[in-house]
Amino acid sequence: MSMFRAKKLDLGCFIKPRTIRDHTKRLVFEKFEPERQALRYIIRNTTLPPRVRAEAQLQLTQMHSYTRGTQIRNRCIMGGQGRGVLRDFKMTRFQFRMEAMAGNIPGMKRASW
Amino acid sequence: MSAQCQVFATNFNPNGVRMGNKVLRQRLRGPALAAYYPRRVATIKDVREEFGPGLDTWEDAEEDRFEYIDELKERGKGAPKKKSAPPTTKPGAGGKRR
Repeated sequence: MSMFRAKKLDLGCFIKPRTIRDHTKRLVFEKFEPERQALRYIIRNTTLPPRVRAEAQLQLTQMHSYTRGTQIRNRCIMGGQGRGVLRDFKMTRFQFRMEAMAGNIPGMKRASW
Repeated sequence: MSAQCQVFATNFNPNGVRMGNKVLRQRLRGPALAAYYPRRVATIKDVREEFGPGLDTWEDAEEDRFEYIDELKERGKGAPKKKSAPPTTKPGAGGKRR
């Protein structure tokens, strides 16, 4: 959402709208994570009065969707793709292949035996 | 058992009541997730904008571009000159109707 987005572009990788959106979600999630965890604690704690827990549940569901960790998806930093991204290299499998064959990834070489 | 809990600073909970402590034990994932994308770093253009155009800088891509443009101009294939006077409309052509 635009209210969360940084006023000035602060990304250094390949940029497309989805990348910006995902980045914004990450920042928002980081900001609200303690609050969410606190609410989650209250909800899970069965020794607290039921009313308090129900209120916490409501409060958690009322929070913006961008504060939710499940909204985040790893995207390719070379092409902004959302699918087939290798977590270790933050790249799609094809981009990874191109980079690896060009020798841009240290220590990476083609398997052969 | 309670002594063990004291020593290792854990909650004494013999009945296994759900206290939600597992949420408190979890680490915060935010900083790691937020650092996923590489951040923007200062470029030569930014430096020029910040410290004025009098600065001597060297940018390979930009120099290559200038070289290419000069080449085009030598061959007479460069971009046309900017017009100084406003374009005069021909009497027959008409122009944009409103």
